[in-house]
Amino acid sequence: MSDIQEATNQLLDVNLHENQRSVQVTESDLRSESELLVTIGATVPTGFEQTAADEVREKLGSSCKISRDRGKIYFVISVESLAQVHCLRSVDNLFVVVQEFQDYQFKKTKEEVLKDFEDLAGKLPWSDPLKVWKINTSFKKKKIKRKKINQNSSKEKIDNGKDNKIDETGIKKEFPDNALDSHILDYYENPAIKEEISTLVGDDLASCKDETDESTKQETEPQVLKFRVTCNRAGEKHCFTSNEAARDFGGAVQDYFKWKADMTNFDVELLVESLHLGSSLSSRLCDPLPYDIIVDPMCGTGAIPIEGATEWSDCYHIAGDNNPLAVNRAANNISSLLTKSQIKEGKPSWGLPIDAVQWDICNLPLRTGSVDIIVTDLPFGKRMGSKKRNWNLYPACLREMGRVCTPATGRAVLLTQDTKCFTKALSGMRHVWRKVDTVWVNIGGLRAAVYVLGRTPQTFVHPSEQDGERGTPW
Amino acid sequence: MKLLTHNLLSSHVRGVGPRGFPLRLEATEVRINPVEFNPQFVARMIPKVEWAALLEAADTLHLIEVPKEPIQGYEHDEDFLRKMHHILLEVDVLEGTLQCPESGRLFPISRGIPNMLLSDEETES
Repeated sequence: MSDIQEATNQLLDVNLHENQRSVQVTESDLRSESELLVTIGATVPTGFEQTAADEVREKLGSSCKISRDRGKIYFVISVESLAQVHCLRSVDNLFVVVQEFQDYQFKKTKEEVLKDFEDLAGKLPWSDPLKVWKINTSFKKKKIKRKKINQNSSKEKIDNGKDNKIDETGIKKEFPDNALDSHILDYYENPAIKEEISTLVGDDLASCKDETDESTKQETEPQVLKFRVTCNRAGEKHCFTSNEAARDFGGAVQDYFKWKADMTNFDVELLVESLHLGSSLSSRLCDPLPYDIIVDPMCGTGAIPIEGATEWSDCYHIAGDNNPLAVNRAANNISSLLTKSQIKEGKPSWGLPIDAVQWDICNLPLRTGSVDIIVTDLPFGKRMGSKKRNWNLYPACLREMGRVCTPATGRAVLLTQDTKCFTKALSGMRHVWRKVDTVWVNIGGLRAAVYVLGRTPQTFVHPSEQDGERGTPW
Repeated sequence: MKLLTHNLLSSHVRGVGPRGFPLRLEATEVRINPVEFNPQFVARMIPKVEWAALLEAADTLHLIEVPKEPIQGYEHDEDFLRKMHHILLEVDVLEGTLQCPESGRLFPISRGIPNMLLSDEETES
């Protein structure tokens, strides 16, 4: 720790994966530095995960685990290969994974959760990732020198998280001779899935100093690192806020390492991530065809349809909820998404194929058989609704969803924690829905399931259109 | 609310069933949002659209004239597809009402969001 020198930003990453399907855990337990293995995470543009994984296999000989959420891949390399990592062209930001927790169980109360975060700081296996980080900074110093010569060369699309940062607007910032360009570290794009606690533009004066002071710097003098913590708390179903988590974790790190906290002028960024795979997983499981009409009838703040409109922009998405606050927030999230995409891609268009409606799931104001796909998170018994309510709610939902869904070709992807209630409700609807797949997941420490259902060919006939006696609508 | 959404919406007041469609549209505030033109998207949405309802809505909003029905070979008629693209996706009703044709019940549209909630007495169940 004593020899760590100031350098440009790099991220140390603590991943709290809440889904069993996510990537492997890794910790380096080898002593000798030449054999030191490390897990590197890399962000890639969404959709390019496989391409990046192929490149990693080709150039580094490592296989990748692809995170199903938000364009990230992970791979293990020996430290000797670190230089080659910087040659990857299909990745954006690089970070070293400190530890990953699968099936991390969040405690029930806020106090307990935050206490856990505090304790976490002291328990993490920091030494090897920090070693790697230190080695990496020596690469960056060489890079900085090279980069200054190439300052005026054409726009480099890929940046390795340190030097040629291209910010969200896609415009490369101009910089004066002796300063490096601004680092934009807000690279999460979906406002509905995560809570942004900090966006920043920070001039990296630290690296600048490196250049000028290098000759005079005493290398043996211990440097106090400046750091900040960003907490990405995906999903809305948590009892704590990102700010609180960042503050408590950050406080503990500060005590442990004696680093200084600095929001704008930092050397190291610690990223605490909680990946909520609910919306992402559900969206991917429904596997929409182009030009499908996709509805989330209990959209909350609209995470699923908003992700859908971004991923599958050749489908039409409708987000609905009975709660006016939820629907308004969904509409706001849609607007901010539009604004971002407008700026980012420089396109004149600023509409997306998505709408929001306020409605009741048990009485959907939609034409019979008009919807191709229904994707939603059903209310969790313990958190949102009550278990007793679900006994009535689930069958009514399934009936109404069955009515609006296109017979034979329609499908539904439904996430729920109340699997017992759901299974019972489904058993009474076999003439409408058949079970295609069940995926077990872990959301916020709770066991849940995603049910993929196919609509049977059975059509729905309104009682008023039936001849004679009052039959059932099916 | 886009007109494609309007074309999917139907009243669910108790007893009206399929006669709750189409909802009669009245708009006091409309915004035009440019949307990227995707001809295949439009071509594939057209069979899903209830044409008469679309005609009526476009008429109410005094939009460009919509043909009485999709013309022959519309899939390759870019001019036609662009017109339909504009009507279905680029016209956003921000303020107005939707009216159930059978019961007369009014549903407000506010800030682009239609409120289709009914009281318990009004609903089917």
